[in-house]
Amino acid sequence: MAMTAPLAAPAQPRVDPYLDVEDYEPEADLMVLNLGPQHPSTHGVFHVKLYLDGEIIIKAVPYAGYLHRGVEKLCEKLMFTQITPIVDKNDYVSPMMNEQALNLAFEALLGVEVPRRARWLRTIEAELQRAASHLLWLATFAMDLGGALGGGATLFMHCFREREAILDLFEEVTGSRFHYNTHTIGGNRHDITPGWAEKVKATLDVIEARIPEYESLTTGNRIFVDRTRGVGVIDGALAMELGITGPILRAAGVSHDLRRDAPYHAYDEVEVRVVTETAGDCQARSLVRIAELRESLRIVREMIDNVPSGPICGHKPIKIVSQERATSGQAYACLESPRGELGTFVIGGGANKGSSPHRLKLRSPSLHALSALPFVLPGHNLSDAVAILGSLDPIMGEVDR
Amino acid sequence: MKGVTLDERVVALLSKKFEVGEFDASLPPLVSRERHLPLARALRDELGYHIYGFCVATHWLETTPKGGEPDPEHFEVSTGLRTPGPGSKLAVWRIRLELGEALASLAHEFAGADWQEREQYDLVGVYFDDHPDLRRLMMPEDWEGHPLRKDYAIDTGCAPWR
Repeated sequence: MAMTAPLAAPAQPRVDPYLDVEDYEPEADLMVLNLGPQHPSTHGVFHVKLYLDGEIIIKAVPYAGYLHRGVEKLCEKLMFTQITPIVDKNDYVSPMMNEQALNLAFEALLGVEVPRRARWLRTIEAELQRAASHLLWLATFAMDLGGALGGGATLFMHCFREREAILDLFEEVTGSRFHYNTHTIGGNRHDITPGWAEKVKATLDVIEARIPEYESLTTGNRIFVDRTRGVGVIDGALAMELGITGPILRAAGVSHDLRRDAPYHAYDEVEVRVVTETAGDCQARSLVRIAELRESLRIVREMIDNVPSGPICGHKPIKIVSQERATSGQAYACLESPRGELGTFVIGGGANKGSSPHRLKLRSPSLHALSALPFVLPGHNLSDAVAILGSLDPIMGEVDR
Repeated sequence: MKGVTLDERVVALLSKKFEVGEFDASLPPLVSRERHLPLARALRDELGYHIYGFCVATHWLETTPKGGEPDPEHFEVSTGLRTPGPGSKLAVWRIRLELGEALASLAHEFAGADWQEREQYDLVGVYFDDHPDLRRLMMPEDWEGHPLRKDYAIDTGCAPWR
């Protein structure tokens, strides 16, 4: 898609996110309602102050930061070799991606090559993690839509069952179900076990067979369609301006996927089919994510039998924590996480004689996705707010860091 | 900078219109403060950099290299923009800000800059001129200091928030 020409103007004028409520003349009663900070549909702790005219939202003011742990400050005190397990906890739905994005940046900064086998293993792990993340999104989104789907707990349990199967696969390789700490500068720390490929394929068979069931409960379900079609439209121009990437951007008709467009790992050796929809609403985002779930499983299936042999780490083993040093230089590396461009900006020359970063910035796609709320929520019914928030798939751990 | 190769057209634009003479392979090109906003506009309108990438502010304390002039305390702000679609390219540049200087906000050009600049203002304490809503994003509104400054100790005490 050639994007050098300015985009066509969207059909409707853009909402003013800085609307002055004092000057607003309500048709019904003007009310202020706090959604969150503790509410199941906020996927963590997130607070949106909604100004309502009757039941219609006229202004939304989000407040983030309830889960701020100061990860970036902490990373400035730790050494390069110690940071990987810390970032696992940022996007706690896809920790693999955090580790990989971090180590890609460190490898760029320190000039370390990753061997081909490690790149293939990273790709397979990333795609399995993407499938697990999209399954969890589907589970919680069904829960958000709640009553419309028979309480929503059915699909929640079903998706968690399949996600568990993927976590079991990770546990066999890394020893952890969640906070893997399996990537290091220059490659992976754990090789796959004998017979792992067969288990992966058996798991893929099970999940692939069950996706039609999920579709019949969600995108093929009249109640689901009624609650999502035309709700929360984010057009391509607004999404790009806000820095939104990933499924939300692809659901708005912009074919942009770093796996294909700026390949990292081993994505230049496999075919990545980018899924797009044009409507940009909650339904389109659901369709894109379910199609990507299928696509991830297909990529894993294509790769799992052809993993090249060789070393899994192209770097000398870490024996002392201060082994890696970068006294100057800046690096940025990014990858396509389940939520979009997950990047790490790292500046060398920090404490401990250069074995810590001077500054580490994590570009989290969820923060950009949430910044769409003031533009999207106004004009919608209060009941749609939860559906819109859920369809953005925000992970508060990486929003607040 | 490392991990990012600037497109040839961006290099040409920077050297012709924005007076960037030096391209260091390990650092983003340094652009003067006044040219920040025109550069972002030019990248978007002329070269198709439509996706707002990131904004990273860094605090540098005074340093004195061996036998050289001391480099006073200052800030650096790096901004990234990206092209959508196949062959996606990232353009990154950095601005040096002396103490007390503010940078023009990109929030009117790229709506995504609103929150990113708020975060950098909150954590690093860099001010953005003409920002529509410059409030803290991560820390409580009444927080004192900017935690990502180099002279802000990691164990700075704080009263529990209630």
